[in-house]
Amino acid sequence: MKKSFFAVCFGLLLMVAMFSTVSAANVQVRISGWGGSDQPIIEEMLRLYVTPAMAKEGITVLYEPIADDFQRYIVNALSANTAPDLFYMDIFWAQSLIQAGQVEPLDNYIAKSKILKKEDFIPSLLDAFSYQGKVYGIPKDFNTLALFYNKDLFDLAGVAYPDENDTWDTLAKKLEAVSKLDGVYGLALQPEFARMGAFTYAAGFKTFDQNGKSNLFHPGFKAAFEWYTGLAKTRAGVMPADLGQSWGGGAFGTEEVAACIEGAWVIGHLKDQAPNLNYGTTFLPKDPSTGKRGNLIFCVAWGMNKDSKNKQAAFKVLEQLTSPEVQQWILERGLALPSRVALADNPYFKQNNREAQANYIVFRGASEGNVVPFSFGEYGGRWMDPINEALRAVMSGEMSVEEGLREAQYRLDQEMQR
Amino acid sequence: MRRSLKEKTAPYVLLSPYLFMLIVFFGYAFIRCFYFSFTEYDLFSPPRWVGFKNYLNLVKDFQFGLALKNSLQFAVIVTSLQTILALLLAVILNQKIKGIRFFRAVYYMPSITSSAVVTLIFMWLFQKKGLINYLLTLAKTGYRIIAVFFGLFVLCQAFLVIGEKIKKRPVSLFEPSFLFLSVVVSFMATFILVKTGIVTMAEGIPPVETVWLNTKKMWPQNNRIFGISYPLGSIMLLNTWTTAPTFMLLYLAGLQDIPKELYEAAAVDGATKFKTFWYVVRPQLSNITFLVVTMGLISTLQMFDQVAIIGDQAPLDSVITLAYYVYINAFPSSVSPKIGMASAAAVFLGFLTLLIVLIQKKVVREGEGVEL
Repeated sequence: MKKSFFAVCFGLLLMVAMFSTVSAANVQVRISGWGGSDQPIIEEMLRLYVTPAMAKEGITVLYEPIADDFQRYIVNALSANTAPDLFYMDIFWAQSLIQAGQVEPLDNYIAKSKILKKEDFIPSLLDAFSYQGKVYGIPKDFNTLALFYNKDLFDLAGVAYPDENDTWDTLAKKLEAVSKLDGVYGLALQPEFARMGAFTYAAGFKTFDQNGKSNLFHPGFKAAFEWYTGLAKTRAGVMPADLGQSWGGGAFGTEEVAACIEGAWVIGHLKDQAPNLNYGTTFLPKDPSTGKRGNLIFCVAWGMNKDSKNKQAAFKVLEQLTSPEVQQWILERGLALPSRVALADNPYFKQNNREAQANYIVFRGASEGNVVPFSFGEYGGRWMDPINEALRAVMSGEMSVEEGLREAQYRLDQEMQR
Repeated sequence: MRRSLKEKTAPYVLLSPYLFMLIVFFGYAFIRCFYFSFTEYDLFSPPRWVGFKNYLNLVKDFQFGLALKNSLQFAVIVTSLQTILALLLAVILNQKIKGIRFFRAVYYMPSITSSAVVTLIFMWLFQKKGLINYLLTLAKTGYRIIAVFFGLFVLCQAFLVIGEKIKKRPVSLFEPSFLFLSVVVSFMATFILVKTGIVTMAEGIPPVETVWLNTKKMWPQNNRIFGISYPLGSIMLLNTWTTAPTFMLLYLAGLQDIPKELYEAAAVDGATKFKTFWYVVRPQLSNITFLVVTMGLISTLQMFDQVAIIGDQAPLDSVITLAYYVYINAFPSSVSPKIGMASAAAVFLGFLTLLIVLIQKKVVREGEGVEL
């Protein structure tokens, strides 16, 4: 009895020792991004491509999706030294992390790499994650804005679909006509610069002028602001919040609005929530006076933790995560658009289905007219707050355009002096 | 001798887990926060001493002023409302009626429901096309029917009461059996009037589309100092509804502690129900009132979750509270954290809470003669 007890103990010890030697030889790389619709796709991507490739190198990849508020999570984790080795960086806040010295510059790694080369990536995207001449993030994908419209509602109202020849004025007429339908509004108008901004850039507005100031009374800004808020006066536009929706895609999915301005992220939402919605996609309308379009680029990159203990291994994982095969696969899942130049002529874009067509429009949005990255330097999101507030106040009829702009300019000037 | 030493140390030993928690998670955290409030700190590089700069910036910040105003309004109004409501509910639920336990459980429900869930439901209720606006529209179109019903009800009740009075029988104006009879009679009469088409719904009334949340409108209008913004007012209602039941429970416990003899003595002296409440019950509950008001003030001054959940559905300026101000400075969108500013605001909030509770304690003590 006693003998067998010792034998079992010895066996257990032996097993523990074996497993610990195995794990010692294995390097673990932690990667983190946001959850939601992203999570199942990344999990599958890791299973199909990254995990098998890395297993040969003795690297295990541990994926940690964060369900809510990724930016706050990563700031906390970095300051507490518990951050993953690789993590998402949104163009919107990447600069604050880079400036704080929390992200590893990647130039030395790229110079030695056979797989990852700078010239393979769309230059404007790579630039967006460069700071003082160094590259801090490898863009994994990007998005621009496009006009999504509900074909059935336009047919029902007997109105021609919005198309790429539309200007602000012709689009407004179409929206107004389709909003004659019972219980349907034209366009989902989020009171946000993240949508309206595209129109201000079309009209020639620059975020910061030569003196580093922002002038909201720039004629282009004012024209775009007037047009955008003007839609809310009739049923041609409606704020999603008034329909109890938190964003345009939500209202579009429930067919309360006939059109919305979103990026490719709406495709996944519609697939889940409104699989039978018969929608089409086109470019944002042109400014009738300049004849140009504007757009915003939303982009996410992989960044490396400056304090990571396995930087070499982490870079190997990064190579896999942004490899051509993985990007091709991600593209076909319809989540986001690839950041590699070579994928531009991809046959996927030529397919005759609404998802591929929507992706194509979003992809081409990056090279049509005045395209500006969605970030506001050192001021961050607080740059937009006064403008968003003015948009909401004017659209709900609490202020005139003039009053709204004056108050926004005042608050913005205060913010920039802080 | 040994025994008494044991007796002396025993309370400290028993308290030690709590004291440990208090020192580590409150004492230490507070000292750190106080130190950070004099520094510029982004969580990454070491804190840089800046003296009173953060506090000066607070005074200059427009949004801080709004947060202070909203927090004070919220604390004063919600604390008063929830205290009154809690007392009322407790008095009602302290009666000896069949099934009172069921009603106690029902009225306690809002307190144990998650505030996130309740806030979401409220957001639906207060939408432009939500239930609140629907009920208002209904009331507006059916105002004639409602008026006829109430008119008949008052007439009927008056008729019954006066009839009894003429017969020289003692009867209260709100005699329950008469109230019931009046409701039934006036309901039936109104129903007949509507069916025969004598009383009709108003026509051509546009639906009420008041925006409750997504607005900066104030009530009273254009009063920037005392006006309450619509969204904050909605949150006040919501918060009162969810917190009153907890305090109701405290009052209920207090009510059951009042000796029966006091009621009997009051009855012998011929006190009315109201007089019994005012001169017997209310003073007996003053300790509990102090507790309820203090806890109410502390929790309302630190209200955060409901503002956070309402999020983009309401403009930040009209709902921002001090606790939320601390949060958005600690984690601003897309720029590095401003821990210094957040700490300064947190320290300010802490001292403000202390000050208000002290004032309240002094007022209650002098007003009620409570010994605390």
